[in-house]
Amino acid sequence: MMRLAVPLLGALMVVPLVAAPVALAQSGPGGRALAPGVKVEVAPAPGSGTAPQPGTVDETALRYYARIGDVERLEAEIARLRALDPSWDPPKDLFAPQPVTSGVDESPFWTLVSAGKFAEARAAIAEQRRKTPSWQPSAKLLQELDLAEGSGRLRSASDTKRWQDVVDAAAAQPEAVACNRLDNAWRLAEAYAELKQTDRAFDTYKTVVSQCPSAKERRDTIFKASRYLSPAQLRELTALGATANPAPGEDYASVRAAEAELETGRLLERAGNAKGNLSATELAQVETTVRERRDADSAISLGWYFQSRKQYALAQSWFSEANGWTPSDRAAEGLILAYNGLGKKAEAREAGAPWRGTSSRVDQALKAVDPPRGSSGGARPGPQGPSELDRTLARRDFAGCLVAVQSAIAKGGKTAALVQQRGWCLLELKRPSEAEAAFVEAQALAAREPAPKTPAQNPSAAARAARDAATAGAITPPTATRAQENAYGQTVARMAAGDTVGVNRDLPRLNITAAQKAEIRASLLATEANRALEDMRYRDALRLLDARKELETEPRNLSILRGWALYNLFRFDEAYKVFKGVDDRLSTEESREGVLTTWKTIYHDW
Amino acid sequence: MSGVPRLLRLSVLAAALLTAGCAGWVRDNSTQLPKPWQRITADALPVTLPESQQFPVLAARMRSTGTVYKSYIAVLGNPTVLEGENRLTVDVQTLPDSLFGALVQPARVFPVPLYTMETLTKALNREFPEMEVKVADGGRRNRYGDYDYAVAQDEANTCVFAWQLITDHARMLPERIEAVRLEYRVCGASRNPRVLLQPFDGLMLTLPEGVLDAGDMGVL
Repeated sequence: MMRLAVPLLGALMVVPLVAAPVALAQSGPGGRALAPGVKVEVAPAPGSGTAPQPGTVDETALRYYARIGDVERLEAEIARLRALDPSWDPPKDLFAPQPVTSGVDESPFWTLVSAGKFAEARAAIAEQRRKTPSWQPSAKLLQELDLAEGSGRLRSASDTKRWQDVVDAAAAQPEAVACNRLDNAWRLAEAYAELKQTDRAFDTYKTVVSQCPSAKERRDTIFKASRYLSPAQLRELTALGATANPAPGEDYASVRAAEAELETGRLLERAGNAKGNLSATELAQVETTVRERRDADSAISLGWYFQSRKQYALAQSWFSEANGWTPSDRAAEGLILAYNGLGKKAEAREAGAPWRGTSSRVDQALKAVDPPRGSSGGARPGPQGPSELDRTLARRDFAGCLVAVQSAIAKGGKTAALVQQRGWCLLELKRPSEAEAAFVEAQALAAREPAPKTPAQNPSAAARAARDAATAGAITPPTATRAQENAYGQTVARMAAGDTVGVNRDLPRLNITAAQKAEIRASLLATEANRALEDMRYRDALRLLDARKELETEPRNLSILRGWALYNLFRFDEAYKVFKGVDDRLSTEESREGVLTTWKTIYHDW
Repeated sequence: MSGVPRLLRLSVLAAALLTAGCAGWVRDNSTQLPKPWQRITADALPVTLPESQQFPVLAARMRSTGTVYKSYIAVLGNPTVLEGENRLTVDVQTLPDSLFGALVQPARVFPVPLYTMETLTKALNREFPEMEVKVADGGRRNRYGDYDYAVAQDEANTCVFAWQLITDHARMLPERIEAVRLEYRVCGASRNPRVLLQPFDGLMLTLPEGVLDAGDMGVL
């Protein structure tokens, strides 16, 4: 029996990867069906079977990926060819220009396939054959094309939730469901599950976790499966993934841990429920997993679990862990309230210092430590953990935030802080005009309220503010005052309402911090650069983007804009470099379009 | 003999004159693009709305597109906690006042027909995500004729979305105004969509050239 390239699900489904397709299109030993019409062939153990003759490995795709610099696919292809023939080594001249041997350069067809233009690729191949009747497209090209089309059908059916069509597409093109196309395997399993064929879904997941060598992929598969399978099935899946067909160099401990992580997730969900109590054993299990994974989010959940039970010392230790692993204002918020519960106000203030003035949740929490005079009309009750408003903000439920603010105002009267919070929530709800009115009202209220403690009254914060100001060379302190916060909110709201001209005019006179001013200026420059590109003023677009870059790192959407400005100025090499840089970090439709278009323009490959 | 060099000299001179301004030439397309929004007072809107405690005019803005279009937005109060601003949009399309203006016009600010079923569905999904939306079978009528509308509801809120195109030159529109497009989006706590549509039913256009109503208000 011939050995398969990679232990693939589809390979298990009988498909040849290189030559001799017919020879493999039959069920061999160990073959089994995944779905009607889909044969599964279990990959033989390494060393069994016959390797292809040296020199028979088809390197067409490999050379293509090398030429276009697609490192990810290049590595996958190398791994695939190595699995096919362990004695094979990647050619040393992989990145050297290659002579066109057959008289026909297949690159344009590969480019079309890569771009997902399958019909165009088929038409171009047919046209080439008409021009050069003696030419035959390589088997690899035709196979890639078939595969890509099959994958496309499967994904399209899955995207539109036509579950039976997903199963049919997999049956028609079993190679499309493979370890190197794991997403398709997941989609097939999902389709089975949605069709209530849970056993088949389970079988598909089992095949993946036992045949695909990557520990990470096995682990991800278990998490995917957790949506559909019972705890008992998940246990079986985890055991299989941790032990079956181990590949050299892979550490399957993370697969083994997946079950515990899932269980921890379930327990944390229960713990998040106000009435959900965990037993000592369950708590110990959750704590162990969270520590092993150094999972800050779960540590914060544990912190709130203890905080809501007034076990402030335990809450403080978990919030501290979370803040140590991944510092965040969420962790700081919990830490402030836990310290406050322990009566350690100085530590509480210290914990909030890094986020003071920049995080509304931290500012809110700090009010529990130093309540504004007269705000609650007397003695303030001890810390109660997150309020309803805090909870809505944590859930990013901004409609709920408006209700919570309204209810807080009804209970305790209107305060500048509450009205300001309403402004931020209105902004999130895309209601900038009302948000601006709220910030104006908050400003007026703040002017009538007693001044809050300034950094000068808080020695550690004052020291930090002075240090930061010295470091940044800033004239104004980096921590915004209440008035500055409101002015900043108004400006953001005006920007959201499209009043860029007015904001640009008023910016020098605005009472906001230097950092806020820079942020607004950067935003204005980005808007202007977009307008310049629309107006076909490409040099202006570049000038504005360059000015913006001096204030802030350029985000990817503006880098793409820069790429198009360069492209339209016929600076194709620079445009390609910009698009490629963006695409190498995170490939999206926009970045790929930029790379492809400039590449085609440079190489006249239209 | 001297004719040819003279012709050559004239040609060179003409070419030099024709290309002399190239270095300072800028493509004149930006005049046809929408200008940024500018804030205006509610008084500067070309429309008045009936007094409403629920839906007062909170803010107003306008922008022009070329010399042909002027767009106005009146942001209205929103007593709900739903996403999105309540608003009335007025787009006024005037006729160009020169031959050049007629030849070089900006892209349309609003399509005609205003909506197809496909674009309406998209707009309604964007305006009222996660709400049950129904396009009214029959339109309604305000001061300026018939308009269409849709109603979106969830457990607590009701929203309406109305749109109208005024193109009647026989009575309503002055000669210089080609068309007026109105779009109205309001969410409120009332379950009755007619209550939400009242401001739209009662609005009055106050464009300087004098827009008349449909003239059959007595039968409404």
